[in-house]
Amino acid sequence: MTLEFGLSDVLKASPMIALFLFSLIPITLKVLRGNKEPNNTASLIQGLIGLLLAAILLVLVSSLVPPPADQTVFARALVLDGLTLSVGLLCILGAGAALVLMHDHPATSGDQFAELVFLALNATLGMLILTSALDLLVLFIGLETMSLSLYLMIGMSHEQKLAKESAFKYFVLGSFASGIFLYGLSFLFGTVGSTSLSEIIMKTPELIGASRLFLMGLVLVVIGFCFKVSIVPFHAWTPDVYQGAPTPHTSLMATAVKAVSFAAFLRVLATKGLIGSPNLFEIMQWLAVLTMIVGNVAALIQTNMKRMLAYSSVAHSGYLLVGLIASGSADDMSFGASTVVFYLMGYSLMTMGAFAVIGLLEKTENTQVSVDNFAGFAKKHPVMGFCLTLFLLSLAGIPPTVGFFGKFYLFSAAVSQGLLWLALWGVLNSVLSVYYYLRPIVSMYMMEGADSDDGAIQSLSKMWGSRLVIGTLAFLTVFLGIFSGTLYDFVERLLGVS
Amino acid sequence: MLLSAIVFLPIFFALLILAWPSSKSLRHLALGLALVEFVVSLIVLTKFDSTTPALQLVEQREWIPRFGITYFLGIDGISLWLVLLTTFLTPLVLLGAWNSIENKVKGFLISMFVLETAMLGTFLAMDSILFYLFWELSLVPMYFLVGIWGGARRIYATIKFFIYTMAGSVLMLLAMIYMMLLTQEATGKMSASLLDFYQLNIPFIGGQFFSLQTLLFFAFAIAFAIKVPMFPFHTWLPDAHVEAPTPGSVILAGVMLKMGTYGMLRWVIPLFPEASEHFAWLFMLLAVIGIIYGALVAMVQPDVKKLVAYSSVSHMGYVVLGLFSLNQMGFTGAMYQMLNHGISTGALFFLVGMIYERTHSREISKYGGLASAMPLFTIAFFIITLSSIAVPLTNGFVGEFLILIGSFTADPVFGTVAISGVLLGAVYMLWMFKKVFFGSAGELVSDTKHPLQDLNMREIAVLAPLIVLVFWMGIYPKTFLNPMRSSMEYLVANRGNYLLSIQSDAVLGKSKEVAALVSVPMSNEGEQK
Repeated sequence: MTLEFGLSDVLKASPMIALFLFSLIPITLKVLRGNKEPNNTASLIQGLIGLLLAAILLVLVSSLVPPPADQTVFARALVLDGLTLSVGLLCILGAGAALVLMHDHPATSGDQFAELVFLALNATLGMLILTSALDLLVLFIGLETMSLSLYLMIGMSHEQKLAKESAFKYFVLGSFASGIFLYGLSFLFGTVGSTSLSEIIMKTPELIGASRLFLMGLVLVVIGFCFKVSIVPFHAWTPDVYQGAPTPHTSLMATAVKAVSFAAFLRVLATKGLIGSPNLFEIMQWLAVLTMIVGNVAALIQTNMKRMLAYSSVAHSGYLLVGLIASGSADDMSFGASTVVFYLMGYSLMTMGAFAVIGLLEKTENTQVSVDNFAGFAKKHPVMGFCLTLFLLSLAGIPPTVGFFGKFYLFSAAVSQGLLWLALWGVLNSVLSVYYYLRPIVSMYMMEGADSDDGAIQSLSKMWGSRLVIGTLAFLTVFLGIFSGTLYDFVERLLGVS
Repeated sequence: MLLSAIVFLPIFFALLILAWPSSKSLRHLALGLALVEFVVSLIVLTKFDSTTPALQLVEQREWIPRFGITYFLGIDGISLWLVLLTTFLTPLVLLGAWNSIENKVKGFLISMFVLETAMLGTFLAMDSILFYLFWELSLVPMYFLVGIWGGARRIYATIKFFIYTMAGSVLMLLAMIYMMLLTQEATGKMSASLLDFYQLNIPFIGGQFFSLQTLLFFAFAIAFAIKVPMFPFHTWLPDAHVEAPTPGSVILAGVMLKMGTYGMLRWVIPLFPEASEHFAWLFMLLAVIGIIYGALVAMVQPDVKKLVAYSSVSHMGYVVLGLFSLNQMGFTGAMYQMLNHGISTGALFFLVGMIYERTHSREISKYGGLASAMPLFTIAFFIITLSSIAVPLTNGFVGEFLILIGSFTADPVFGTVAISGVLLGAVYMLWMFKKVFFGSAGELVSDTKHPLQDLNMREIAVLAPLIVLVFWMGIYPKTFLNPMRSSMEYLVANRGNYLLSIQSDAVLGKSKEVAALVSVPMSNEGEQK
């Protein structure tokens, strides 16, 4: 591998460079002012500008290199294709929304916000690397950049107990997963002679049947990903970490982090390793079914909202894995892949929204929101209550929300690949999930709440940023549902050309 | 544009209600808007051409071209009266709920209008995904209606209702996706249009459950059977009905149950002709069980509302019996019975609601001698009771008579058993009527501290149109039978190879070829079978 690179490489990597430079601004200002915390809103705006710039650059750079041109960057380490663009934009937007929520949330605002912006932007940087990586080692670097920033962000929470535990758990289990991933990677490198994804893709057909070491490497890499996207039985960290982390961070982990991990998973699965090995293919299908069932059944009995949504997020990983398998088994991978990307977009919208509303209810950094805390919420905050209703109905897959169309496309892809039984498990599970998604709605609309928390109304009026984010997400949940065809076509076109 | 206007006006009204500043005039506004909607839907009646079975007033636009999903509305003899029933009942419901819904009036009115859109959309959608969208959407406002304004066990009832119905319909969604793929295999282009589904030739192997048509048939039929609800799937209904507020019960019984039987007539029977013929015995059997079982259970209910709810199970059993007789008498009778049930059971729920508002009790044993206390109420109740037990000259007679002839023709055994259901129906209704209205005055009636008021003008205004319809439909059924006749005749004649055409002057660019294909209903496909 040569280490030469030209100006074009730097240009193509400009979104990441911009992100990194902007991430330095708030923290540098803080140092220059003698370690005094700068204005939080200013830090937020600097961070948002950085994200916006990265998004613009990403779109610009991607449009400058249409498919015939060389889309790869730094000697085929990164690639700027449709998947990078669509998921990259998604994670930048997700990070932006999460930053706004962090600014309003008691566990994350206040001092050390400048550091938080620095870490959040670097996490986003890691995400961009992760989605665009064409080399498994670079992919690993992206993964670690993202994860390390997140461990720190969670650990920095003003909440004293659960967040620390959560950060530690996430760190230990995340490192464990990274270790497994690297171990698998070493086998792949040993058998293929390269860590480049394209070389691995090329060699897969001949190696998959012949070399057990290669297969083992592949399985370990897949397990590493399963950890990251919380596929049962590698999901155990998810509920604890999601519950313990400050809600804005949870929203970031449940949406952007999950989206990019799935995007990278998608890239690796395109090796058709699954088809080459019927056993692995079958195991993946069972994992998908298991994930859906365990996620949904466990969510049924939760009372803590964040924990419930964490299990729901596990269940959604199961649905997504169905799409991933469908795309891996298809000759034309773009159909399945675009259903996965579309689902990720829809899922991110509604999950981000749901967590954001939960965040509104947390008056102090130590508040734990349970389902019963929503009693009478719709009466006090009709608009926010309605938005949460939309998010939950969308998560349950009730039309005409984006959640329904996401599931529809996903299961269409599965059925068209002859994976009818996976689709069957999928729809049955979505019936199961209706029960727990309806429970907060029952609380909000059908129970009378205690009138004691007038303080919540007071503080809510200040959180205009959060409310703006929630309103926008709710609007998009319905709008992108009704006009889902256009967005889907757009995604499929993006992915089809790569 | 007319059909779109009918479907989406209520949503627009809901937004208007949402933005309306004065809470005092909300009810008046809503009633006026609902009447506007009814008048608009009457325009359809004037434009409707009853001589053709073709789909009329069609609107078709591309929606999600990648999957061949279109925004496709159309009306024919099958859906015409159901649409009108919906728009007719909604203003009555709003008027009937004038005093019974006291808190969160705005939310209630919005739910009602959203529900109206969903129901109308279900009856008018001719694209499977659009249909499914409205079908599922109808659950949400109903869920709120029962859950917020319902009785003591409302939350249990509403969640049960939601999950039960959704469990059935997700399998239907899967079947729809599968059929979309079948259209792609058959024509090379994926389509979700019902008309393209009709053109599919789905292989049927008798006696083998895991054959394509049988599985698809059951995926659809179970979804609709749960909604109807048919015998083993009926358990959500008594819960939902008893806990629902009066307007919820009226809409649930009056319109939402018809979505199930409408689905059978529109989707199941024409799409899967061989399977529906093969399994007709099963559905007739379950229908007859439902008729007898519903009647027997109704007989022992101490609660008037529960009695009416179980009578619904029994009455809807007749509709299914008629449908799976698979002949013209059966189809026509079933359609007619759907309207009858909407009117007479709707009216019964209104009446139960009116007495409940006065006494806050539905226990039959606490009443008695109501006839002398509330003469007008008694007369109205009596007329509706007669209609419910299908006495000649009322609407119920026409429907049940047609269904019984139809089922006799199809299978004399089921016909005979079903007739005993008529008798049982008379038994429980008249028994209840006797207990409530005659005899010595019960504790609630004789309570001198709270003398019972007879019907007021508002309540008379709610009941009068229903009573007029009871007699109109009973004495001169032609008005209602004529517009649906050609659709029914066409369905019976071409059941094995049902294709629906679009009335030519309404044909839009893309659907021209469909119309051309359909103009020769007996195409080669039919001969190959």
